[in-house]
Amino acid sequence: MIYCVGHSIISPLGEGTQANVEAVKAGHSGLKIYTDRFESVEPFCASLFDTPQEFVPLCIRSVEMAADKSEILKSPETVFVVSTTKGDQLDLLTPAKEIAQHFGNPNLPVVVSNACTSGVCAQITAMRLLEAGFYRHAVVTGCDIQTKFIVSGFQAFKALSQEPCLPFSPERKGLNLGEAAATIIYSNQPSDLSNRSNWALVKGSIHNDANHISAPSRTGEGAYRCLTDVLAGVSPADICLLGVHGTATLYNDDMERTAIRRAGLQNVPMSVLKPFFGHTMGAAGVLETIIAMKMVQNEKNVHVIKMLSGFGGVNAAIRLQCE
Amino acid sequence: MEQLIEQLKSQIIEALNFEDMTPADIDTDAPLFGEGLGLDSIDALELIMLMDREYGIKLADPKAGKAIFQSVRTMAEYIQANRTK
Amino acid sequence: MRVSQEIEITPAKVIINGEPVAVKEKGEKMLVELYRQYANDYPKFFKMDTLCRLGFIASEILLREEQVEAVILANRSASIKNDTDYLSTITGENYYPSPALFVYTLPNIVTGEIAIRHHIQGETSFYILEDEQQLEQIIKSTITRHPSPILAGWCECSGPDTFNAKLQIIWNN
Repeated sequence: MIYCVGHSIISPLGEGTQANVEAVKAGHSGLKIYTDRFESVEPFCASLFDTPQEFVPLCIRSVEMAADKSEILKSPETVFVVSTTKGDQLDLLTPAKEIAQHFGNPNLPVVVSNACTSGVCAQITAMRLLEAGFYRHAVVTGCDIQTKFIVSGFQAFKALSQEPCLPFSPERKGLNLGEAAATIIYSNQPSDLSNRSNWALVKGSIHNDANHISAPSRTGEGAYRCLTDVLAGVSPADICLLGVHGTATLYNDDMERTAIRRAGLQNVPMSVLKPFFGHTMGAAGVLETIIAMKMVQNEKNVHVIKMLSGFGGVNAAIRLQCE
Repeated sequence: MEQLIEQLKSQIIEALNFEDMTPADIDTDAPLFGEGLGLDSIDALELIMLMDREYGIKLADPKAGKAIFQSVRTMAEYIQANRTK
Repeated sequence: MRVSQEIEITPAKVIINGEPVAVKEKGEKMLVELYRQYANDYPKFFKMDTLCRLGFIASEILLREEQVEAVILANRSASIKNDTDYLSTITGENYYPSPALFVYTLPNIVTGEIAIRHHIQGETSFYILEDEQQLEQIIKSTITRHPSPILAGWCECSGPDTFNAKLQIIWNN
C-alpha cells in the first residue's frame, strides 16, 4: 500500500481541496450552458473555468497546492505521474516533462493515457512503482482542458446533454464535459511527511471488457472484475462509499449499475460527482478520489472504492483505506 | 431513386471503410444493422454525419435513425423526401 | 522476466523473433499486405487508424500461438496522426466531425482493439513515455502483480507511413 501525503483540486468550483469540498457540500455546481465557446454548433452544458486556463501552469499550481515541501518534488526518489487524455493541444509528453522540470525533478515523468480511466490508472501505476521500490514518492496529477477538438467529438457521438446531467435517471440525456486539475501525492513511507492524511491506497485493478471500443459491455464485465479484485480481503459491507463514474449516458450508467449489483455493492452509498464538476476526463479519477476521501468519516478501517470506465473498453477501480 | 441508391451504396462503403466491398455486394433491402452489413453504433453516427454532409439532412435524435437506417432502400427514401442538397 | 516472442515493424521491414519477413510494400500499404497475409478475416481492420492497424497486426502475428493476460503499450506521440486527421473534419468551412475518426483520437484504443480481437479481459493500459527504458520499469513493476504473460511494447505512429512497433510477449519467469 501507499500513503496519501497531500492533495489538491483546482476547478471552476474553487481553488484547493477545501473550497471544492465546501462547494459540493453546499450543492453548488460548476455546470453552465454555453452557446458561444469553442465555435460549437449547438449549445452545450459544461463546467469550465471562467478564464480559459493553460495546461502546464494549471498543473503546476495544482502540484504546488498539494505539496507540503518542495524537497519531495525535486527529489530523485520522486516520480511525476500525469493523467490526461488530450494534454496541451494534443501533446502529452512535452507538458508532462515541463511540469516535472519546473520543480527541478530529475526523473522522466510517466504519462498515463487510458481514456477516462486515466486518473485511477495513474494512481495504480504510482502504487506499483512505489511498491516495486523504484521510487519513494509519486506526484499524481490529473488534468484536462476542454477544447473545440473534444467538444466537437463528443457532439459527433451525440453523447452530450444540453442540460445538467442526470446520472442514473431514466431521463438522462448524456454527459457534461468539465475541466479541472487535481493532484494526489503518495509516499511509500507513512512517517515521511507531517501533513499526511490518514488514507492509504491499498488495491487497484484494470480490466478491459473486450467488447467494443466505445460502447461499454452490457454485462459490465470489466467493471465487475475490477470491483471484485479491489474487494479482495474485505466484503461489500466494509465499503463506506462507492465513487462511481456516472456519466449519465444511456449505456454507461446501465453498465455500472449491472457491474455494481454483480459485485454485491448495490447497498453501498454512492458518490456521483459529474453533476458538480462535469466529466473532467484525465482529472476525473484523481479529483473524484479526493472528494471520496473527504466525504466519509476519518476513522480507522473506513474503506472507499473509486471506479471509472472509458473509451477503449477499459475499466478501473481502486480501494482506499483510512488508517 | 435507383441512381440515388447506387450512389448511396458507394458513399456507405467509403464512409464506413468497407475496403473489400463494391456496391453490387450490398443488398438494397437487407438489414444494415444486426445481420446484413452488421453495422454498429459508431457506424450509425457516421451515417447520420453522411446524411448531413452529402444531403443536408440534420438528424437530431439518433433513435429516429433506427427506422431510417433499416436498409439502404429506407435510407434512400428518407433522403429523397428530406434532402436539401 | 522472460520474453517468449517479439516482433518489430517499421515502414520498411518486419522482423519476427529475429527473422526478417519478406514484404513487397512499404508504409501503410505494407500493413494492409501483412493483414492479408496473417489475418484477412477481420473487416474491422479497415476502420482502424494507422496506429491501431500497426498494433493490431503486430499482436495478430505474436498471438498466433500464445495467449496473453494483459496488453501494455506506450509511445511518445499518443494518437497525433489520427488527431490531425480528425482535426481536418472540423477545420475550415466544412464542419463535419467524424465519429469514426474521433474514437481513434485516444492512443489506448489500440489496446482495446487487441483486447476485442483476442478476447483479453485482463488489463489494458497505455503510457506516453520518453523511451523504452521507461516502459521497462513500468512492465517490471506490473508483471509481478498481474497474471503473466503480458503483451507489451512500443507502438508509435506520428504520420502517414511514419510508424514503428516493437512488441514482446513477456513472462514473469
